[in-house]
Amino acid sequence: MALLEVRDLQTHFFTREGVVKAVDGVSFTLEKGKTLGIVGESGCGKSVTALSIMGLIPKPPAKIVGGEVLFEGRDLTKLSERQLEDVRGKEIAMIFQDPMTSLNPTLKIGTQITEVIRRHYGVGKDEARKRAVGLLDEVHIPNAAGRLDDYPHRFSGGMRQRVMIAIALSCNPKLLIADEPTTALDVTVQAQVLDLLDELRHSHDMSMIIITHDMGVVAEAADDIIVMYAGQFVEQATTLDLFDHPEHPYTEALLGALPQIEGEGIREGRLTAIPGRPPDLIDPPVACRFGPRCPYANRKDSCTTTMPELREIRPGHLVRSAHPTSERAEVREEVPV
Amino acid sequence: MSLLEVRELEKHFPVKSGVLFDRTVGHVKAVDGVSFEIEEGETLGLVGESGSGKSTTGYCILRLLEPSAGSVKFMDRELTTMGREEIRKVRREMQIVFQDPYSSLDPRMTVGNIVGEPLQVHGIGSSRGRRSRVRELLDVVGFNPGFVNRYPHEFSGGQRQRIGIARALALNPRLIVCDEPVSALDVSIQAQILNLLKDLQRDFGLTYLFIAHDLAVVRAMSDRIAVMNRGKLVEIGPAEQVYTNPQDDYTKALLSAVPVPDPRKMQERKTQRRKLRHALAEA
Amino acid sequence: MAVSPKDTRVRAATLAGPVGQAGTAGEALRQASLWRDAWYRYVRNKGAVIAGVVFVLLVLYCYLIPGFWKIPGIWTSLADIDPYAVEFADARQGMSLAHPLGTDRFGRDMLARTALGGQVSIQIGFAATLVILVIGIAYGSISGFVGGMVDNAMMRFLDALYGLPYLPFAIITLAIIGTINIWTMTIALSIASWFTTARIVRGQIISLKENDYVRAAKAVGARWHRILLRHLLPNTLGVLIIAVFLELPGVVLGEAFLSFIGLGISPPEASWGAMAQDGRAVYRVQPLLIVIPSVAIAMLVLCANFIADGMRDALDPRTRET
Repeated sequence: MALLEVRDLQTHFFTREGVVKAVDGVSFTLEKGKTLGIVGESGCGKSVTALSIMGLIPKPPAKIVGGEVLFEGRDLTKLSERQLEDVRGKEIAMIFQDPMTSLNPTLKIGTQITEVIRRHYGVGKDEARKRAVGLLDEVHIPNAAGRLDDYPHRFSGGMRQRVMIAIALSCNPKLLIADEPTTALDVTVQAQVLDLLDELRHSHDMSMIIITHDMGVVAEAADDIIVMYAGQFVEQATTLDLFDHPEHPYTEALLGALPQIEGEGIREGRLTAIPGRPPDLIDPPVACRFGPRCPYANRKDSCTTTMPELREIRPGHLVRSAHPTSERAEVREEVPV
Repeated sequence: MSLLEVRELEKHFPVKSGVLFDRTVGHVKAVDGVSFEIEEGETLGLVGESGSGKSTTGYCILRLLEPSAGSVKFMDRELTTMGREEIRKVRREMQIVFQDPYSSLDPRMTVGNIVGEPLQVHGIGSSRGRRSRVRELLDVVGFNPGFVNRYPHEFSGGQRQRIGIARALALNPRLIVCDEPVSALDVSIQAQILNLLKDLQRDFGLTYLFIAHDLAVVRAMSDRIAVMNRGKLVEIGPAEQVYTNPQDDYTKALLSAVPVPDPRKMQERKTQRRKLRHALAEA
Repeated sequence: MAVSPKDTRVRAATLAGPVGQAGTAGEALRQASLWRDAWYRYVRNKGAVIAGVVFVLLVLYCYLIPGFWKIPGIWTSLADIDPYAVEFADARQGMSLAHPLGTDRFGRDMLARTALGGQVSIQIGFAATLVILVIGIAYGSISGFVGGMVDNAMMRFLDALYGLPYLPFAIITLAIIGTINIWTMTIALSIASWFTTARIVRGQIISLKENDYVRAAKAVGARWHRILLRHLLPNTLGVLIIAVFLELPGVVLGEAFLSFIGLGISPPEASWGAMAQDGRAVYRVQPLLIVIPSVAIAMLVLCANFIADGMRDALDPRTRET
């Protein structure tokens, strides 16, 4: 049985302006011990997906209107708030993007870690402290015992992120969801944090979901990748397969729009820009949502009137498009990946 | 003669403490002796992580922050010693595009007023002349001129950056300092704006000081690249050279840490790092 | 990176208007503005809406009622609501059809007198608030804008001024000036109550100063006065409107108090406070004479407070919806 199975998840936000269909039909499976990367640009719904899994969406105005989130067979969407609290931290943990605001500036680090441990294990203060020191050691914070009594402002961004990871790991969760864990960090620190996550994943036998907009991060950290666009997921494949053979025109365009570090004629050439903007999620198009920006869509195609179905174009590679790369009759311009 | 010559530029921020009245107890050297030149028509990329002093350098050059020491020569005139009115006039030749599309436009002004403000401030053209120039500028940056009377909050990040770029172009400057102009934008919009900046440079003969932390973006835009670390310039040279044959250790570390969208390469790096860690652990 | 033929579409598409269902780079987003958002949030706050309505009704009452007796045919069925008509025979009556709020010591109609009194109270209230705003904005914006040692000095001076007791100071001021009329009252009430407004404005200016658009204005060559007047002050509007409704109660109550202790404007241009003082002597016989002006003052003050609260909640960006 898969560790996490999300089926046709739909999360809508009920606002004065209308119903924002932030997540509109997302399905995926996560096996034990694997890392799934969810990529997409801002507004595509990736963070809302993660929050929906944990039940952390703001209850008004948001609501999970459909679908199931099966964690080890249990549907999380059907649990009460109390039951969800038992799951959070202990079974599924989450780390967030901005280490500056995710830690409480008025509490010592030690308190923030032991708080979680005592909530789920009910152990005494001394025992919790011992475990906290062990955790800080694991995330490679030097002089762990001494630093337990420091406040967050005495740590740098990268170290705060490590503290967050320590808090997330404190109860040995089976699944760790990392929402843009490296975006707010400097490049040299990013690699360290990703390495740490990888190491911990193995030592704790944890599965992971990494959410990011950075294709380089998923290239390194993920085993499988889902690409999201406008609240839906449009492509899923293993990492190698996605980068070697992107099928969806959006994925292709996204990879093409990335500036390269190596190569010829970079300075003189232009980047492959995607014209336009993602659609308004209050009234999303009934047809393919990428259509208006898609270079391959013609007026007569089916994808301009109906939503393309998700199909398996190769074993393990799903795509929601009427014009996947391998099916295109004429190859316009070979875009080297 | 280079368009811009920066010599030993320094900017110190005082560290204050005190209860009733603040006293200065020390200094933070945000920019600590930076020197470089930019020729007319070229793009110098200034790259570094947060806290490296790159944005501060840009602001000092434009005298939006007062340099603590050093010299900035623009069109062969020394900027650091100029009086306020003189600087105002020189401002027509050097402009800036900001990073944050949300805080760089006054929410109470219409798009037309924002783009037209430079013209108004310097008394250029009649009211009608300004209006038509504003439309022209918006057109050039790919923003629908029909929206002159709308407010910034009605537009997306990418569109707002276009407005900011139009504003920077209004006075026909020779030099534009681009301070992380695409960092706050999505990848697909990023490419649009970078292409736009390239086109504008070609069409109007602009010179850019392109400040960014994203090495790939800087590579795509720059002829020469300068790398900053903690207030100091550690390496400078032609882009190709700096990227393929970096001399400084910091530059090497920076380049090897940049994530590239190539899974095989990333795996390779990960393995190398792991080997390095094990080697260190055993040492 | 190969150059793609799709590129030529980029410029064209971005210049044109909406294409197909999704917008291109040229189209504006559908998004609420700060004010419209604020209005919706304000309207959802029932207390604030009721307060707003009552406030408006109260002000209308004060300005419209006294005019009515001059319009023939409107009140002819209800005689005698002339506030100046002294009729000793009708003195100190309770509520009746002829005099909906009773009469005062001299038989003058209370409905009309309360309205007239309201005019005075409201006038002084708004005038003093205006003076407070002007001084507060000037002091606060200079302090916040200049910053550094000047700001330090100005704020320390302000701290010292905070120690001044507001009402005794007003009394002293009136004593010094000598005469008591609307203008002197205004000055006396505002002279020691502009400190908070100055603080608020200074705080706003300091935080707004950090915005990139201020730097942008500087980069473009704008001089300091343009930056202050065109960029900074207009963006403090929200906070200023709230400040108005917060200062108003203080000033109205201050005026009422001064009038109550006898330092108010003399009748018949009496304010509510003076009317209350009038009624104090005879409250055992006719409680209405003190109750009515007191209730009026309380209503005005309470409504202003609720409105200020409602506006503050409405304009707080942190409670924005997703």
